[in-house]
Amino acid sequence: MYPLVYDELHRLARRYMSRERKGHTLQTTALINEAYVRLVDQRNVHWANRSHFFAISAQIMRRILIDHARRHAYAKRGGGAQQVSLDEAATVTSTRGAEMLRLDEALQTLATMDPRRSQVVELRYFGGLNNEEIAGVLNVSENTVTRDWNMARAWLYQQLNESAAN
Amino acid sequence: MSPERWQQISRIFKSAISLDGEARAAYVVDQCGTDESLRSEVEKLLAFHHRAAEENFIGGRAADDGAALLIEPEDLKPRLEKDQKLGSYLILDQLGTGGMGEVYLAKDSRLERTVALKVLSPDIAEDKHRMQRFRQEAKVASSLNQPNILTIFEFGEVDGLTFLATEFIDGETLRTWLHRDRLKVPETIDVAIQVLTALEAAHEARIVHRDIKPENVMIRHRDRLVKVVDFGLAKVTEKRSRAFTEQGLDTEAITEFKTTPGVLMGTINYMSPEQARAGAVDERTDIWSVGVMLYEMVTGVIPFGGPTTSHTLVQIIEQEPPPLSKATDAPAELQRIIRKAMAKSPDERYQSAKDMAVDLKHLQKQLDHREVATDDTDYTDQGSEKKRVVFVALVAMVAATAAIFAVSVWRASRERPPAAVPGPGPVVAQPERMLTYWLTVQKFRDGRLKEPYVIAGEINFEAGDQIRLNVRTPQAGYLYVLNEGPRTGETVPEFVMLFPSPTANKGSPLLAADQQIQIPQKSWLRFDAQEGVERLWLVFAEKAVPELESVKGFVNDQSKGLITDMTQNKTIHDLLTTRSTTKPNVEKGETLTTLKTPGDLLVYPIRLEHH
Repeated sequence: MYPLVYDELHRLARRYMSRERKGHTLQTTALINEAYVRLVDQRNVHWANRSHFFAISAQIMRRILIDHARRHAYAKRGGGAQQVSLDEAATVTSTRGAEMLRLDEALQTLATMDPRRSQVVELRYFGGLNNEEIAGVLNVSENTVTRDWNMARAWLYQQLNESAAN
Repeated sequence: MSPERWQQISRIFKSAISLDGEARAAYVVDQCGTDESLRSEVEKLLAFHHRAAEENFIGGRAADDGAALLIEPEDLKPRLEKDQKLGSYLILDQLGTGGMGEVYLAKDSRLERTVALKVLSPDIAEDKHRMQRFRQEAKVASSLNQPNILTIFEFGEVDGLTFLATEFIDGETLRTWLHRDRLKVPETIDVAIQVLTALEAAHEARIVHRDIKPENVMIRHRDRLVKVVDFGLAKVTEKRSRAFTEQGLDTEAITEFKTTPGVLMGTINYMSPEQARAGAVDERTDIWSVGVMLYEMVTGVIPFGGPTTSHTLVQIIEQEPPPLSKATDAPAELQRIIRKAMAKSPDERYQSAKDMAVDLKHLQKQLDHREVATDDTDYTDQGSEKKRVVFVALVAMVAATAAIFAVSVWRASRERPPAAVPGPGPVVAQPERMLTYWLTVQKFRDGRLKEPYVIAGEINFEAGDQIRLNVRTPQAGYLYVLNEGPRTGETVPEFVMLFPSPTANKGSPLLAADQQIQIPQKSWLRFDAQEGVERLWLVFAEKAVPELESVKGFVNDQSKGLITDMTQNKTIHDLLTTRSTTKPNVEKGETLTTLKTPGDLLVYPIRLEHH
């Protein structure tokens, strides 16, 4: 078994941190331990094939990010890092967590109506898989994945926009 | 929404997006018939489909989007400051920060020696497992007393801070070197031989490093002496003569690879197939990693690197790297050595660091020879062996003399006092402005940010690259840093006041002597997709600059320093153009640039070209 999520999160956390000024592994360490514990919890799952593994990885990634988003969205945030950026794209906003949570909720709703489309989004967005790989995991054609993705993304975007407006 | 309704919408949507304009509208109307609400649902969804695609909604990856959530502002606190004492260590300077903590330059007052002091983050210091790793690193490295292995002096705890004191190397990592420049073949071979010499000593002591990569290879500026660092993952192995199955499996390496002390960014690209498979490892794992490193040194790219960790692992285990012969014109023999080091099966690799070093040394000799031989034919007729040797000696002497000459010229230029200003009358002490700057650069390549490195000056950038400007002022004075956006036609450019900002230096431009600042303080300047030339204007003055002081008032948090008032921009533009006519004297070092100008105002544009 390869603890891929563990590694992936670590890579991301490191990379993210490296953009910041000071070392601060507090969150990273906790996060990675968390990921690892979750993977180990899955030990009884039979790792039948790579597809299965990807699916589990995507799920875990989603759960961890959502947990953190939840903490962030509700935590009081004052005077965080101020950003001056040439393109302002790197701006860290406190709304990031809330967006992530709204997406998760919408994705849950989608799952009740259309589990496969919801899974396509999970594998692609949370799992980092491309359409070809998703097709392999779900055992459908790549065209189907593309269509599923288009529809799911449009619908999720609509949900997020409408819930933001309310 | 009921699943049935969803199915209905989905069916129409699916076909509709393959149609355009009127055909699509007609199709939707036709399919929905009299069901107005269905039609409205489908139309809305189609509209959102386009917006989502345009705005690249969830087009990236959740982990990247969410990375910001992993960090808390309180994690950003600094800990030790200059002149502060930690036990018997006096802090001289901060050298850098990484995930594990900060690294300082310090003086050990007991032995009057300069050391690098790695102070660990509290959360790491509290982690028993990791502490064990540090103890292990200290123990292993001190047991390996070898010039190519970084010496560890002490691992201890004072005032609740856990630290590791090591030999201080005034140099850079191989990673930084690779970022800056491609290594020449002789340099590549030289570095590899030294790494292998270190490994030979470690392997002799039955220690496998397990994390050989450019980040863990330091090169001293002075003499290019190589130091292998970070034995935090090292493992004491059984003698290989015993059966494979008796050895510990390397599950530890794969799960812990990511928590290596001193590593700025975790990487698995140098991992051997047996490590990737979590199989048994021995010293031949290090041989593999040296092979991968060599591959990168000669081609400039890593042989295995997929979009995700899993892709990379699969590549390492299953795939052959892109053929060397197509990626480099390095000597065939070097390519053969690399291929052999990177054999998937450990049995097919070099069986010891020594064997590999022998082949490299042999090649090194051949190349020395060949170089001279080639030159030889230009100067002599057919060149006998004897002549050749003389020529070698001569070349060596010339080179040595040249080096000595270069050094003394350099010294002289450094030591010479500033020339007095010639002219009639009594010599009046001329005021002078001086500052030093360098850029921290983080390139964005293949969809990811590379490790940051430091450069003295201007290079070309691409979209996604990030930089920071570091300024040190030997004198006290008023510093203003402005970003001039790419110019569009004849109009006055828009400026962004990067320093001072409401948050940086408490909004004040006044810097003390020897103060060092980083701009921006907590983030990066990132290049977007727009091409062109931007400038970072440095204005360093003895007194506050009235024009810029008044502009400062317009800058606040909301505007992020962007000056939108064109009158203000014009004022700045005029000031910079009139005052930059006195060009400062620019002295470019390897990693920093020093600017000097007579008078009380220094104005200098750093050019950032963006392709």
